[in-house]
Amino acid sequence: MTNETTTEEADAAVAEEQTVSLPDRADGSSSQSSARNVIETRGMSIYYGDFLAVADISLDFAKNEISALIGPSGCGKSTVLRSLNRMNDLIPTARTEGEVNYHGENIYAEGIDPVQVRRTIGMVFQKPNPFPKSIFDNIAWGAKINGYRGSKSDVEDLVREALEAAALWDEVKDKLRESGYSLSGGQQQRLCIARAIATRPDVILMDEPCSALDPIATLRIEELMLELKRDYSIVIVTHNMQQAARVSDKTAFFNVKLDEKGMRTGRLVEYSPTDQLFTSPEEKETEDYITGRFG
Amino acid sequence: MTIEATERVSVDEHFPTDDEYKGLLNRRTRRARFFQAACLAALTIAVLALATLLYTIINDSFGLVAIVNQNDPAAIVADLGHNPSEVSLDAVPYDELVGLLEASVSSGVGRRLERDQRFYDDRLVFESDAVWTEICSSAEPPTGCTAGPRDQANVFALVQERVVMPDVIASYELVPSLLNPEGFTDQVTRGFEAGRFGEYTLEQTSIEWRAWFNPTFLRTPQNSIPEVAGIRTAILGSLWLVVITLLFAVPVGVGAAIYLVEYAKPTRLNDLIQTNINNLAGVPSIIYGMLGLAIFVRVLEPWTSGAIFTDGVPPAENGRTVVSAGLTLGLLTLPVVIISAQEALKSVPDSLRHAGLALGATRWQTVRSQILPVALPGLLTGTILAVARAIGETAPLILVGAASFITSDPTGPFSKFTALPIQIFQWTSFPQQEFHNIAAAASIALLVLLLTLNAVAVILRNRYSRRAE
Repeated sequence: MTNETTTEEADAAVAEEQTVSLPDRADGSSSQSSARNVIETRGMSIYYGDFLAVADISLDFAKNEISALIGPSGCGKSTVLRSLNRMNDLIPTARTEGEVNYHGENIYAEGIDPVQVRRTIGMVFQKPNPFPKSIFDNIAWGAKINGYRGSKSDVEDLVREALEAAALWDEVKDKLRESGYSLSGGQQQRLCIARAIATRPDVILMDEPCSALDPIATLRIEELMLELKRDYSIVIVTHNMQQAARVSDKTAFFNVKLDEKGMRTGRLVEYSPTDQLFTSPEEKETEDYITGRFG
Repeated sequence: MTIEATERVSVDEHFPTDDEYKGLLNRRTRRARFFQAACLAALTIAVLALATLLYTIINDSFGLVAIVNQNDPAAIVADLGHNPSEVSLDAVPYDELVGLLEASVSSGVGRRLERDQRFYDDRLVFESDAVWTEICSSAEPPTGCTAGPRDQANVFALVQERVVMPDVIASYELVPSLLNPEGFTDQVTRGFEAGRFGEYTLEQTSIEWRAWFNPTFLRTPQNSIPEVAGIRTAILGSLWLVVITLLFAVPVGVGAAIYLVEYAKPTRLNDLIQTNINNLAGVPSIIYGMLGLAIFVRVLEPWTSGAIFTDGVPPAENGRTVVSAGLTLGLLTLPVVIISAQEALKSVPDSLRHAGLALGATRWQTVRSQILPVALPGLLTGTILAVARAIGETAPLILVGAASFITSDPTGPFSKFTALPIQIFQWTSFPQQEFHNIAAAASIALLVLLLTLNAVAVILRNRYSRRAE
């Protein structure tokens, strides 16, 4: 299969691009961390100005697994997700304390360029946000800006593979030159997933990727996630507990705690294998939430 | 017809009863009608003001004139051996026009004309070669030594001025000319009876239609005689100003807007800068004129006079050049360009920025490839409208020294120049009616220029927004 060789070459080309100290993603056998974990947070607290949004989060996200973050509105689960690839840096007042270790390397350490972090840890957003360009360009652009050096036919293969991996190829193969906006909402979201995986990230963060979609489109994305976890590690934020139960391997439950001054701070309540969390949770709070007594 | 809700189950005593409600409804309806009418009245006032403006300009630009030609152009054409019904004077060959001048003007005037600008590249008409060489090697050679030769339009204007010598002794506005042409004849006749037209006689006078705004008017250079004056110098000056203003204001303004929208963090300093830009947009243009005079004309004179680019010999004798004025207008436009560019950039949804950055693009890659293409229609429209506003500005140009009387076209950024609003301003300050007529005609030209720029803005916007979809 010519396709595979070209992608490996592409992969190598892109890997060469990385200059700074982020470890090789393939099997980052760093001594101080378990090789099965891609991201570990240690005592992570996130502030917006003086406001403590989430406090003291320590979580391990395992390789080739889907980890779900659930909890009521305002518990900080999206904030936690966005801090995993430094998208929170875009909010001028946001500040992260503690460590976020990617294969043992703190991505908030000095000298780490957030551009490199985001290229390795990709993201899919709540609302589908394709570029106002053709379907083809939507996918090829990420490779281009990251220094992809393949020929024209290599790019075509790359686009095709990304679309196939996102289960969109059959629907769009005849209209690659049409605008990304010509697709339905569910197709647009799969286009965004294809766009994210075309740059060959290691981890994909998904921020409520199905909340703007109808149930059938949601089902397709969920199937897709299960496919993708063979090649990628996925962290997903979801409001939908059934979704977390259906797709994830491990689930983290966040809740809001009020401190003495009435500030609402998000805290991690429980992080367990999904089966266990939904059938026999250790914490009373978790049980109340998943049985629908609040939230 | 009313709708009765007699079956209503839930009743709250704080709501009016049905009868009270009917009265209230009538009052509300009357009030709504009143405000609708008031808004319509406001619109009517605005439309009337615009209509009056156009009426005044057009009324002055066309109409009947009583004209006395010292020499009849048709007779001149016939004397040259052409058929006057086929060939008009401005279509007579260049050499014959020069010949007419040679035959008609005194040698002193002829020499002066030649020193202003030559008639031929390869030979002299009025001057002798020896004198020419001498004056051209003197300390202050006249412009004719360096400038290129005159062209057909230029020489025709000279023939009009020096040979035909038309004199408009009275002019009439468009509307009375159409409704009551006899009134004008009566007025002229009474004028002759009262001896108001000096040595002219009624027999010499012809009453004819005149469009002060006509192609010749656009092609002819400035002249002190309103009958033969044109606005070519001013149009070219205004176009030069547009080009320089665009070259300065667009890159600087768009660059600053990109920094403020895409890069700047909301620090106190950046807030201060933003507030100041908003305030600068409201600073009166005369103050920009003072700034331009102080900086571009005086401090930067070696640059703006072009001396620094030509080994110390300035193409213009001081800094009152096209480039000074263009930069001043550029400064004047800059805050508006920045603000409109900021609006265009802010209208691009953040989701596109996040999408780009989440793929591992740098800020600039995201701005360049995703944000700017989407913002382009807005950027273009805002910029062009801002610049269009600037070309109508008069006050700063007066301060930075636009020449109010200049007959040679601007040839480059270091030329002395005049501009359409300056020309209009100058002509309206003269008492003679003919100057008011050509001022109105020049106003039409200025309005057409502005409308053209606005149309370009609309076309570009439509074109690019269709492409972005």
